Amino acid sequence: MMNNYKLPISKINQLFKNKELKPSELYAETFERAAITESIIHGHLELFQEENLKKALNSDERYEKGENLGTLDGIPIAIKDNINISGYATTCSSKMLSNYISPYDATVITRLKNEGALFTGKTNLDEFAMGSSTENSAFGPTKNPWDSSRVPGGSSGGSAAVVSAGSAIASLGSDTGGSIRQPASFCGVVGFKPTYGTVSRFGLVAFASSLDQIGPITNHVEDARLIFNSMKGHDPRDATSLIESKAKQPKLKNAKIGIIKELMEDGISEDAKKEVHKVAKLLEAEGHEIIEVSLPLTKMSISIYYLIAPAECSANLSRFDGVRYGNRVPGSTSSEMMELTRANGFGPEVKKRILLGTYALSAGYYDAYYGQALKARAMMKKEFTDIYEDVDYLISPTTPSDPFKFGEKSDNQLEMYMSDLCTIPANLVGMPAISIPTGLSSQGLPLSVQIMSPSNTDNTLLDFSESLESLVAFTEEPVINGVVS
Amino acid sequence: MSIIPTIGMETHVELKTNSKMFCRCHVLDTELPNESLCPTCLGLPGSLPVPNKKAIEFITLLALSTNCSITNDGMFHRKNYFYPDLPKNYQISQFDLPVGTEGSLEIVVDGEFGTVEIERVHMEEDTGKSTHIGSGRIDSATSTHLDFNRAGIPLVEVVTKPLIKSSKEAVAYIEELRQLVIDLDISEGKLEKGNLRFDANISVAHEGDKELGTKVEIKNMNSLKSLEKAIEYEISRQTKMLIAEENIIQETRHWDEKKEVTSSMRSKEGSADYRYFSDPDIPNMILSNDFVNEIKTIIPELPSQKRKMFIETGLSIEDANNLGKNKNWIGDLYLSITEITGDSKSSFNWVTGELQGQLRKLEIKDLPNWVTAKNLSEIILLVKEDKISFTSGKEILANLIEQEIVPEEFASENNLIQENNIEEISKIVEEVIENNSEVLERIANGEEKLIGFLVGQIIKISKGQVNPSVAKELLLKEISS
Repeated sequence: MMNNYKLPISKINQLFKNKELKPSELYAETFERAAITESIIHGHLELFQEENLKKALNSDERYEKGENLGTLDGIPIAIKDNINISGYATTCSSKMLSNYISPYDATVITRLKNEGALFTGKTNLDEFAMGSSTENSAFGPTKNPWDSSRVPGGSSGGSAAVVSAGSAIASLGSDTGGSIRQPASFCGVVGFKPTYGTVSRFGLVAFASSLDQIGPITNHVEDARLIFNSMKGHDPRDATSLIESKAKQPKLKNAKIGIIKELMEDGISEDAKKEVHKVAKLLEAEGHEIIEVSLPLTKMSISIYYLIAPAECSANLSRFDGVRYGNRVPGSTSSEMMELTRANGFGPEVKKRILLGTYALSAGYYDAYYGQALKARAMMKKEFTDIYEDVDYLISPTTPSDPFKFGEKSDNQLEMYMSDLCTIPANLVGMPAISIPTGLSSQGLPLSVQIMSPSNTDNTLLDFSESLESLVAFTEEPVINGVVS
Repeated sequence: MSIIPTIGMETHVELKTNSKMFCRCHVLDTELPNESLCPTCLGLPGSLPVPNKKAIEFITLLALSTNCSITNDGMFHRKNYFYPDLPKNYQISQFDLPVGTEGSLEIVVDGEFGTVEIERVHMEEDTGKSTHIGSGRIDSATSTHLDFNRAGIPLVEVVTKPLIKSSKEAVAYIEELRQLVIDLDISEGKLEKGNLRFDANISVAHEGDKELGTKVEIKNMNSLKSLEKAIEYEISRQTKMLIAEENIIQETRHWDEKKEVTSSMRSKEGSADYRYFSDPDIPNMILSNDFVNEIKTIIPELPSQKRKMFIETGLSIEDANNLGKNKNWIGDLYLSITEITGDSKSSFNWVTGELQGQLRKLEIKDLPNWVTAKNLSEIILLVKEDKISFTSGKEILANLIEQEIVPEEFASENNLIQENNIEEISKIVEEVIENNSEVLERIANGEEKLIGFLVGQIIKISKGQVNPSVAKELLLKEISS
């Protein structure tokens, strides 16, 4: 029998309403689960238990009176530690911000609070969301709940692992090049990156502003939809946040689905390809049409990404100088103080990307690197816009392989970067993309497929994904510390 | 062969919006540090900039008023450099797509018209303010205090082409720009408050040289006087070096207000690399033709237009220019008065000199409502027609400011009407000559200034009612005969 913490949120909400379960009981259940799993998984950097128990009791009262705020009222959600919650630390898993307390709420936090959601705590990530394994966290890596010798993916590794392990009902991650979808895939849960601009970035510590997008990591597609719809919508504090526009929606029945040829070639494991073909067959049986499509620029996405993202991050991370906040290392002059602070506060991957980006933007190199990358990005956008004239959805593996072992790729940076090959295009183009667990690899580890659709068709993509989810009927769960979740 | 200086000006104009450029913090006029802050203007992690629409309207007004072409599809760029008072360690500014380009501004130098070519007008945010304790510079200070009230206040940078030829032209340009932003009502325009801050790029070259000389940037000029002195000092320094065939280094120099010299701040090996790139947090700045046309409809009367109107009444370029620097009601009053009196010069002198002087002395800001173009013109005409003396005119004016009077009636009642009847005056002149034979003798011996004494006697006897110039004329005639 399923534990409560693996139920869809709508079911939990029913239990609350029917007074069969209290928010405080569920809250306690997730913390019991954390007590069992956290010592192995290390998904949370901080657990909020004490402070939030009171909030859970308030939620109990609201349900008691029939005055619950929204469907999320009383639902314990974990928050990636690069999203600000007022009064709590936002460390970004960096030594630089190990003592930094945010004085304000991110817009997504405000909106979830308005719905009555509870927070379990802050989750681990690769430092400043730069990485694909959480090995770059200054506070130690998160372990994959399916196999603690393997990475949970990244950068939202903590957020994916805690949902998989059951110490949160759902979580928020941020996705710059696959940071929600890749760890969701590695941990066997659902990860959704919305259209760029649909969810406010205000209060999300920026990595690469033109690519970053907050999204949910959940056990069920319907949970992702619920959380997405609670967070989305124009925010006057984010100039890039979209005002809802009407886009032509893809078909839900008899849809045309393209398998991206370039994401089914070299570098993609047989297991991963097999999942895509399996899913394609299921969809075909439902009356959908499956075709192979070619998007040649997809092969360049890693090159484009590793110019644009570091360039933006080199400026975004300049503010961490020890002057106004963060850990300061004293120096004999102000510039020495800033140099020492940054040398001490940032880890090697962050430094590498700042250097890369600084170089790409420098006089004499801008045109050859950053300028070219912008042009290629624009071309790639066009390639996708054109293909959507023909197909409703695109499908690919989420990751080239099942979860890798700790240390396996940290010596080979290019291979590490390649693990985002399938997910980066959605960030460069801005379109929504979802990762849905579909099966296990030959090693018994989770595998997923990714579905993408045109920008501003998020809810249709989620509807479509929900029907696929029920077709696939993936119900496997990890065994942690000898306890099945 | 003569040596020609070339000057380009970069001016920052602080806009008077209610809130900052990229957040909702109030723009405060306070000495208390760090009173108006939020996550965005403090550069806290996760904060984002949202452009201030009012500031965009203001800069569009300025760009249009300096005859610039407006960039319809512009954008904000990040200018990257590290400094403790720059919260994000990049400044949101504009790079290759500024709001306005290729404009010009009419100026007045030594009573003649001139033109300053504007290269660009762009929008940016201000930095915080550093106060270095124990030293003027950060690295030798014992501590530095940071005030971020100023951080994020909207600034417009106006950059001229390097075509200015003298310190006088540069000063006239700043005066014109200042008047323009005041008339447009987009900035307080107070130099002493730093609402306008300017740097000068100066180079010298031999006349006829195809290329400009090495550019030196001068900073820290806080007044028009220091601007003029600094430019002159720098031109002479560079000229001497050019003659001596010394190498002029491209650098930034600091104007020392006390010593009245410039000194090296830092040399620029090539140009600083600010690694500009478009700010991904802000969508492109679209200034549609509709928007631009709407702004055009709210442009008020510009300084150059006011000047033109004043010149048409007969004023010199210089007087017209000076008149335009006053509050609008002064110019309007002048126009009404000169229409009645038909004498532009004395109308100008009375309005800008006597009237404003007395108001200032009495610390009256607004003209009392009974003081009108009509009764002011009456005073001016009484003086002009020699019915009263200039001194009496001033006295009547002082009384008019205090209470509602009719100038001519007041003049009669107070015996201020001058005696212009030659026969009457001649009688008094004769009387004075008779009674002052000793003085006359001294005048004959060369003590000519005693003539004034005799004129004074005439006026005294007439109880001030004799026109002094007529009296003097008659007196001289009598003496010489």
